[in-house]
Amino acid sequence: MTDTTAQTVPGKRSLLTLDDRTRRRNAAEARFRAYGLAAVTVALIALTLLLVSIFANGVSVFRQTTIAIPVTLDAKKLDKSGKLDPAVMAKVTTVGYAPLLTKGLQAAMEENGISDQGLKAKAIGALISQDAPAQLRDMVLADPTLVGQTISFEALASGRIDGYFKGRVTMDSAALDSNISPEQLALADALKDAGILHSRFNMGFITAPDASEQRPEAAGLGVAILGSLYMMIVVLVLSLPIGVAASIYLEEFAPKNRFTDLIEVNISNLAAVPSIVYGILGLAIFINFAGLPQSAPIVGGLVLTLMTLPRIIIPARAALKAVPPSIRDAALGVGASKMQSVFHHVLPLAAPGILTGMIIGLAQALGETAPLLLIGMVAFVREYPGAPPEGFFDPASALPVQVYNWTQRADPAFVERAGGAIIVLLIFLVTMNAAAILLRRRFERRW
Amino acid sequence: MILLVVLALAAAGFLAGRMRALKSTGGDPRQLHSLPGHHGQMVLLFTAVPALLLIAAWLLIQPVVIERNAAALLAPADIPEGSSASLVMSDVRRISDGLDVIGAREGLTEAGIAALGADMGGLRDRLGAVGVALGGEVKPTVFEAAKLFRTESRGGRRAMTVTVLLTAIAGLVLSLRRIRPDLRARNVSETFVLALLIGSSLIAVLTTIGIIASLLFESLSFFRLYPVKDFLFSLTWNPQFRGGSDLGIWPLLWGTLYVSFIALLVAAPIGLMIAIYLSEYASKRTRAIVKPAIEILAGIPTIVYGLFALVTVGPMLRDYFAQPLGLGTSSSSVMTAGLVMGIMVIPFVSSLSDDIINAVPQSLRDGSLGLGATPSETIKQVVLPAALPGVVGAILLAASRAIGETMIVVMGAGAAAKLSLNPFEAMTTVTVKIVSQLTGDTEFASPETLVAFALGLTLFTITLALNIFALYIVRKYREQYE
Amino acid sequence: MNDMTRREAEITATAIKISARNAQVYYGDNHAIKDVDVDIHDRMVTAFIGPSGCGKSTFLRCLNRMNDTIPSCRVEGRITLDGEDIYDKRVDPVQLRAKVGMVFQKPNPFPKSIFDNVAYGPRIHGLTRSKAELDEVVETSLRRAALWKEVKDRLHQPGTGLSGGQQQRLCIARAIATSPEVLLMDEPCSALDPIATAQVEELIDELRAQFSVVIVTHSMQQAARVSQRTAFFHLGNLVEFGETTQIFTKPRDPRTESYITGRIG
Repeated sequence: MTDTTAQTVPGKRSLLTLDDRTRRRNAAEARFRAYGLAAVTVALIALTLLLVSIFANGVSVFRQTTIAIPVTLDAKKLDKSGKLDPAVMAKVTTVGYAPLLTKGLQAAMEENGISDQGLKAKAIGALISQDAPAQLRDMVLADPTLVGQTISFEALASGRIDGYFKGRVTMDSAALDSNISPEQLALADALKDAGILHSRFNMGFITAPDASEQRPEAAGLGVAILGSLYMMIVVLVLSLPIGVAASIYLEEFAPKNRFTDLIEVNISNLAAVPSIVYGILGLAIFINFAGLPQSAPIVGGLVLTLMTLPRIIIPARAALKAVPPSIRDAALGVGASKMQSVFHHVLPLAAPGILTGMIIGLAQALGETAPLLLIGMVAFVREYPGAPPEGFFDPASALPVQVYNWTQRADPAFVERAGGAIIVLLIFLVTMNAAAILLRRRFERRW
Repeated sequence: MILLVVLALAAAGFLAGRMRALKSTGGDPRQLHSLPGHHGQMVLLFTAVPALLLIAAWLLIQPVVIERNAAALLAPADIPEGSSASLVMSDVRRISDGLDVIGAREGLTEAGIAALGADMGGLRDRLGAVGVALGGEVKPTVFEAAKLFRTESRGGRRAMTVTVLLTAIAGLVLSLRRIRPDLRARNVSETFVLALLIGSSLIAVLTTIGIIASLLFESLSFFRLYPVKDFLFSLTWNPQFRGGSDLGIWPLLWGTLYVSFIALLVAAPIGLMIAIYLSEYASKRTRAIVKPAIEILAGIPTIVYGLFALVTVGPMLRDYFAQPLGLGTSSSSVMTAGLVMGIMVIPFVSSLSDDIINAVPQSLRDGSLGLGATPSETIKQVVLPAALPGVVGAILLAASRAIGETMIVVMGAGAAAKLSLNPFEAMTTVTVKIVSQLTGDTEFASPETLVAFALGLTLFTITLALNIFALYIVRKYREQYE
Repeated sequence: MNDMTRREAEITATAIKISARNAQVYYGDNHAIKDVDVDIHDRMVTAFIGPSGCGKSTFLRCLNRMNDTIPSCRVEGRITLDGEDIYDKRVDPVQLRAKVGMVFQKPNPFPKSIFDNVAYGPRIHGLTRSKAELDEVVETSLRRAALWKEVKDRLHQPGTGLSGGQQQRLCIARAIATSPEVLLMDEPCSALDPIATAQVEELIDELRAQFSVVIVTHSMQQAARVSQRTAFFHLGNLVEFGETTQIFTKPRDPRTESYITGRIG
């Protein structure tokens, strides 16, 4: 007994003092923890930076500079026949309308006593967007009785002027720019002081179609939104029933054999195939082989459906799996067939989960760009697609593709547009995801 | 419209089926094998499903056929310089719509509409008046095509209506006649539904077959035009419009791997540390906020990252790093794309690693802590080694994601195919070239276009191999702790 | 009877290692342990018995502050090791746990080799200066855990490949390799078969020569077989604490009697 007691005595240290080694180990612990915190911070900063930079870049697009011009719609110029027949009046092209706007602007300047800064009429006219005459013409053709009157017309200012008030164009940059001169900017300032030129909410950005290289101020998302909407309809109509049916089969009916294993492995691999490969598939099968038209929402919808399907089936199966077997047993126990137990009991219970997965899948499809590039959705489309179902075959654009399209153009004003388009896209995505989260919260069930 | 009719027929079929079933036993449902509702359901399915499938197929095929017929009428000369056949065809469609409107507005007969073709100039104005503005005079062939398009569309529609209705009615009658008291209507309709379910799950297999077939088929026609040897072993990528291009894959593969490597260099440590922090250190509340916030990164469309690379990261790297260091003057570079892509794949690493670290049994942590190890020692020496295979799987999945990513590299990496080590130089990747070769103006059958399919095949093979390998590792790992 | 007197002599001879006074443990609002006073003697096996959910494991985990890993857990009162309060702010739980080792209910070998499992503690605490010394520590620990003969030829194979009883002995070897002063065992045999249990019990009896051992068990036979002192817990209270023979033959409290005669459990 005595020899054992002696053993514990040497090297005995108090618990209350830290030895060096423990101190070092605690420092290492604190460092490691700090690395973790730093990683989280870096990721959150990256997220913030990403969102802030996109918003800072694009939010200005929702205000657009316009010039209020009193336009005298001279009957001599616009309707020589005097019959107010739109078909005849349509012979006057936009070139005929442009001088009217310039003249109206000059008149307004005179009335407010604004000096023309030594600018010629043509340079003054350059303040107005090239798209404004076309809008004026559409307005007159839609309502020929306007001819002869003097109306107040809100004309878009040209992209450079708009950029000046958003800080993109400065006096210094204008001095080097062949498209705009500092004098024109000074005139714009004067117009703004007189209240002729002002900035308004940019409805046209949401509704108008795309515009050509020279008129970024007129470019809008109308066709792209419609195209995206059509595609989402196609995706929804096809992938919801197919996805649900496939997951029901795989989860509830499929026997365990090689073939169903193959399908399962297949689906999990399809979910990870790069999206651009789906674009190649769409190009090869739907366009080259089946001969469907390029740039059509139907093709985009089909490609996105194939891409979205595995991403719907996986959560749908999880939702079905989450329904406890006791429910199935209960239904089978009272003599229901397997099919009845699934459709009457399991499916309704799994529906919120399936729908949540569906919405998230749709949101992903909405933001997808790469496959659409390959099936020709990058084309410049100014015409709105027709009403469904024929409209599915008309050329259209899509939101994310429109963003890409605009970033490829020379005028920096289009980058602002791209940022704005992304904001619109993100608003759609946030709404969809919020709906999914609400749905989950509302119907979440713990078994 | 036709849809409504079919649905109405189906509904009627349901009721008729019920009634007939009831009547067959003199109103006593107990003598039936299946419930009257099952008989109704059977009739409904037989009426609606074939008819609806037919509508879907018809709607897909008819435009294609008609378009081909109409396009056949167009001469190559009808396609103006700088335009394409598809644009002319869209004119054809619009003209034919316009003709409909004119016909309806002016009460013209078919012959009257045909006669419109006599005055092409007048036709353009009249079309303009009904809202169909055309770029130029209507060419006679285009008008003929439009007329054909119009009549065939109408004919097709009519034929479809008739066929669909016949199908629906046939289904209705045939299934109604089958109703007898001892008919196992429930089993019949359930087998029918099961067949539909199986058909749906086969779509996934068909998709895979479609992908592989389209890639292989077009790749083969590429290799017929361009030697495989050069594609696989040449070190230059230099496509020419007039042929004689060098289409070696190595510069593209190098760019792809370089960008992905940088992305993983960013994402792997950050993602892993996030997973560790969230699963081992963070309080429940922090975790509940931070985890979804980081997963937002995965939900943001790649085009947004692309724009971020283009307007923010690229210029920033150029101005603060590349130019002062004398490494380059391009705002699109491997570094730009790699960094941004790294941010994008962080959640792929962190989410999966988080799951995997959580799956490590608590008893191992207790064992280590009970021996007096600090939490970080426990993580580094016990938890991570236990979770390693899963973490490797997560990183491989992220790698496959990075390799297949398109928009970020299209907008951030540049278009110059180069074999260079300088990360601030613009390089290009496999995906960038797939996009540029397939959206370019070159003729489809040229090797310059077809090479995109061979590139796609390469991409598909690499990512598929990575995925299968990663999923295999992760699955093996999960089994270990189940 | 002779044996009996020897045991009593031991009890009075050895010093008090751990002492708890008025210890309270809370999980959030739940008062899990109430007013516990216990003295753990050096070189002796103390058993905690009681029905499941009585708080014996909770109390055990307080003795090396394993409860710190549960955020909602709070300990009040005074628990001392060699007279020093282990819940003092200056005490580093890491240092404490090096002195008070723990063996868990389920064998939990790390996914490493047998050697690395045993060497884990000495390595992190920096107890050895050379590879030879480490080899020696590993060997002695495995010998003491009565595992050396079975594993000496496969030291570099994973510890997870051993049988359940061997795994638990490996965990014991791992715990004693850091030369702790107290060894806490939380139902160490509950996952083992009878043969493995007998081996582990034998081992515990041998370990008594060097360590103070505290064992939680809900097998009364086991407590009677291996321990010198026994504490009976019921609903978070320490009902009775005394020499094992006394507890099992002449319980003072009616609740203890009901438990050991099998009326509550």
